[in-house]
Amino acid sequence: MALNIIVCIKQVPDPEHYSKVTLDPVTKTIRREGIPAVINPVDKNALEEGFSIRDSYSGKIAVLTMGPPQARRALEEALAMGADEAVLLCDRAFAEADTLATAYSLACAVRTMGHFDLILCGNETADSGTSQVGPQLAQFLGISCVSNVKEITFEEEMSLVAKQSLEGGYMKVRLRLPALITVRKEINKPRLATAFGIIEAAEKEIKEWCCKDVEVDSNCIGSAGSPTKVLEPIELPRRKGEIMTGSPEEAVKKAIEKVRELGGLT
Amino acid sequence: MDFNLTRQHEMLRDTVHQFADSELAPRALELDEKGDFPFDIVKKCGEMGLVGIMTPKEYGGTDMGHLARMIAIEEISRVYPPLGFFFQTGHLGHWSVQTYGTEEQKKKYLPSLCKGEKIMFDAITEASGGSDPAAAQTTAKLEGDEFVVNGRKVFITLPGAADFGCILARMDDKFSEILVEKGTPGFEVVRREKIAGFRTTPVNELVFTNCHVPKSNLLGQEGRGLAIALTTVAVIGRTGVAGIGLGIARGCYEAALNFAKERKLYGKSISELQAIQFALVDMNVEIEATRWLSYYAAWQIDQGKGLREIGADIARAKLLGCDLANRVAPEAVQLMGGYGVTAEYHVTRRLNDALQLFPAAGTQEIMKLTIGRSILA
Repeated sequence: MALNIIVCIKQVPDPEHYSKVTLDPVTKTIRREGIPAVINPVDKNALEEGFSIRDSYSGKIAVLTMGPPQARRALEEALAMGADEAVLLCDRAFAEADTLATAYSLACAVRTMGHFDLILCGNETADSGTSQVGPQLAQFLGISCVSNVKEITFEEEMSLVAKQSLEGGYMKVRLRLPALITVRKEINKPRLATAFGIIEAAEKEIKEWCCKDVEVDSNCIGSAGSPTKVLEPIELPRRKGEIMTGSPEEAVKKAIEKVRELGGLT
Repeated sequence: MDFNLTRQHEMLRDTVHQFADSELAPRALELDEKGDFPFDIVKKCGEMGLVGIMTPKEYGGTDMGHLARMIAIEEISRVYPPLGFFFQTGHLGHWSVQTYGTEEQKKKYLPSLCKGEKIMFDAITEASGGSDPAAAQTTAKLEGDEFVVNGRKVFITLPGAADFGCILARMDDKFSEILVEKGTPGFEVVRREKIAGFRTTPVNELVFTNCHVPKSNLLGQEGRGLAIALTTVAVIGRTGVAGIGLGIARGCYEAALNFAKERKLYGKSISELQAIQFALVDMNVEIEATRWLSYYAAWQIDQGKGLREIGADIARAKLLGCDLANRVAPEAVQLMGGYGVTAEYHVTRRLNDALQLFPAAGTQEIMKLTIGRSILA
């Protein structure tokens, strides 16, 4: 069973530098200047899952991203980690896309890439965290989808079982390929790129496609294709803790009073 | 003039950085306490293509060059300098074989070295002094198809962990480099020095007593051993020290920087105090200056320039890299107060490692002689 796997990744501002992140007051988007860009962390788990499946069943991994020209760097890293080929969907017409327009654009690229058996995505991005693009992409492609997956096992030819994480438990879902899975961080530990991978990556092609290279309806991409708009970013108040001092009895009494004061007890 | 690293260098830096943080940092204290050579980590470095980073692909390397090697050593030494020291010293013999070895020797030794499965030492120094290698007394006499080696080597890094090595031996009035495998009768690793730093990298004394090795183990031309040894120490040893010095300094600087941001005195972070800011700035500026000087030296080797042309640049990198580590590490201890001397803050182990850079690959005074000869020529 040789599988054609597509892994969708996104380049995001390095979460380790989030203390430096500010929002542009006009565009309401993240100012990225001075913040290193990295592969969205959980997308590396998606890549690792792809590598693991390829190692077990053979096949190839194509990695796909949509973004500005510098997103090529994320693809280069994915190739150095072991991906076989890469596609960068890059055109100003794709800019300012919300999750729906992004998923539509990716779906058009996937159709152009040809036959696939499995699409893997990270469950959510570190910079916007909607968890919507994966399921929307599956919808556009008309294939099965399971999100929030922490384990994938193959039971028979072209059929897999995805263990979906739920609040307080999990659900096992059996589905036939082609399908799309969005993975959680705990599914695996992503491998590091190696020096061997880095030199091999230089030999691998990165295809760069603009909107003319994939058959798109221009009304469905970029800003025009985005039904949602960011009106106003709101900074949520930070959670804070308070330590009650005194003897255990006094501390418990103070805690109960505090909870009552906050409306937690009537 | 282009100061940008290549994309390959950038990716290498990122991946070695992550490797050091995830695989080395959690084990650093334990490794130092036990002092055992980390064979598993070296094997992992082999799998990652780091041990063979300057070795041609046909012998199992990744052939990324000397600047890539320096970047890797810097990133490793930022977290665990003894592993950087393994690269610095292990690559001496490794490079000698790939540069001066016969095709048969390259095929025999390089692939297993690149994989991290075998380890090699390079033995030059004797009790007569590392700064005067021409005074070495170890002899090799040709008897039929064999060399008979007799003598003693001191302060040799790695034999305790290695599988084979090359030794500098006197043949009448000239020297030759000879490959000797561990287990050869007459070759003994007689002691391990108790040294201040680089706790997991053994430094040993070797004794050769009528040790018979095949004539085919001659490395390079007969009589050219001293030139081979000195070139190897300069090209590989000194750039390696520069990379370790950079890494040690960065590790100490980052520890001090984080400490300064977190530590509160007088109701505010000590990073708000100008005296602390100035100390951090001094460290930062010295690191950046040394880095670019060191990268320049390594980059020139990659450009194919010979030692005659760039020997002084390499010596400058070793001189500054060693001094850098030995200035920044105590400064970090000073900045961190009592915490600076505790094991948990990982600065004192780096300070101990920094001390080892003074004699490594030529003393600071020898570097100054090399640079002096260059500027006064």
